[in-house]
Amino acid sequence: MGAILAVFDYTLREHVRRRAWLSTALFGLVLIAGGLVTSVLAADQRARMMLDLGLAAIEAIGLVTAVFLTVGLVLSEIESRAVFLILTHPVPRWQYLFGRWLGTLAAVALGMAGMALLHLALLAALGWSAGGYGLAWSCSLGSVAMMSALSLLLSLALTSEAAAMAFAGFFWLLGHFTAEMSFVADRSGSPFLRGLILVFARAAPDFARLDYRDALHGGAAGGAWAAWAAVYALAYCAACLALAVQLFEQKEF
Amino acid sequence: MRTTAPLAAFVLAAGIALAAGGRLASLSPRLPPLSDLPDTPYIGQDAALAAAGFRAAAADVAWIQLLEYAAGGLPRWPNPPGRPYAHAEALSRRVVRLDPYFHGAYLYGAGLLGWFGAEKHPDQAVALLQEGLRRDPGQRLYSLYIVALAYQKKGDVSREIAILESALDDPRTPTLMKEILANLFKSRREYAKALALWRAILDDPAQASQHSRARGQIREITALERAAASPAGRRQ
Repeated sequence: MGAILAVFDYTLREHVRRRAWLSTALFGLVLIAGGLVTSVLAADQRARMMLDLGLAAIEAIGLVTAVFLTVGLVLSEIESRAVFLILTHPVPRWQYLFGRWLGTLAAVALGMAGMALLHLALLAALGWSAGGYGLAWSCSLGSVAMMSALSLLLSLALTSEAAAMAFAGFFWLLGHFTAEMSFVADRSGSPFLRGLILVFARAAPDFARLDYRDALHGGAAGGAWAAWAAVYALAYCAACLALAVQLFEQKEF
Repeated sequence: MRTTAPLAAFVLAAGIALAAGGRLASLSPRLPPLSDLPDTPYIGQDAALAAAGFRAAAADVAWIQLLEYAAGGLPRWPNPPGRPYAHAEALSRRVVRLDPYFHGAYLYGAGLLGWFGAEKHPDQAVALLQEGLRRDPGQRLYSLYIVALAYQKKGDVSREIAILESALDDPRTPTLMKEILANLFKSRREYAKALALWRAILDDPAQASQHSRARGQIREITALERAAASPAGRRQ
């Protein structure tokens, strides 16, 4: 536990030093520019548009930041040989990997929290007072956590940052079509094709089901839904990290 | 042991994720499939935003385009000659099929189809509101507007106005409906009521885009009111 905390701490400090928080400043600009445009165009729906635009921007910026930071998280340390120095200490590899991932996720979550505070201030100025924001934000964080765990796994499997990023983008898109993929699989005549589509549909993170942003205007989600969403996101992250640990354990340094 | 522990953890976590994913799928709200989107020149834009996971944001963009259309048309999708609001139904349905919980779009679309312009389409407005009742239940204004449209079809304007007036206190009543009601009052020479509605729009800072129209209408209705109050107007 001590080793995980130590790796978590230095990873978080590293990201803060590298100005990962600049994403929050970028978000502020996007939000203010978006706010100016929507206040002119959206008529009765100013608050709604500001809510959707802000939540979408928080998730998009959080996602891009998480993928960029995660794909190079371990590969850069392998290339710079810094990983040798760390692993000469009594740090089990899984604890190193988990601490690195957790530190990166914490840095992204801090940025997303900063964006959410800015966003809520702007929404309050527009008179928005409906609930569900916390759950929508948490689901976005869940999606970002899943993508960062998947990106870490892809970076170790493909050993190339560019390829890992490309595949992460592919899985991100796939994750919004899992229901359609299951539908296509059911209609497929070939058992091989059906099996192949189903494997992709199950392997891709099911963002379409986890997404509360797009259902926020429909009213409050049930407690059971939120609980299952949390279990799903945690289990998906754990599965990706376990495979990443397996790959990392097999690497010869 | 060292190499099998992560694999065992993976199998356990993947099993839990599959089970939780299945449960989540049964509890998640069902959004209309993208194949239900009406055929418009914006289908690529909608699909791209939805594919990136920004469906509500796609509906917001579609909403702005609907407003732009109502305000004077879309350069990319011009109306056929002589049919000024020919695409109003498709553009309204586009918004609500991207986000079935977009209450304002059902109401605005119904207002545009059922009451706005010279060519009215009450049946299309009712169909849109019925879609709202089905996909976005619990919104009292949908059924209220369906009743108002039924009275409009029967030619019972007094009852139609009474129904629309009863919805004015609801904060979800779109400004378009207030404008429609103000015009109905104006056509029935109930100038005081029409003026009150336009003044309320003028006092609302969120409706800045409608303020110049409200000022123009207030000037016109005040002149009509004066003319009606004059001896010649009273004789008429």
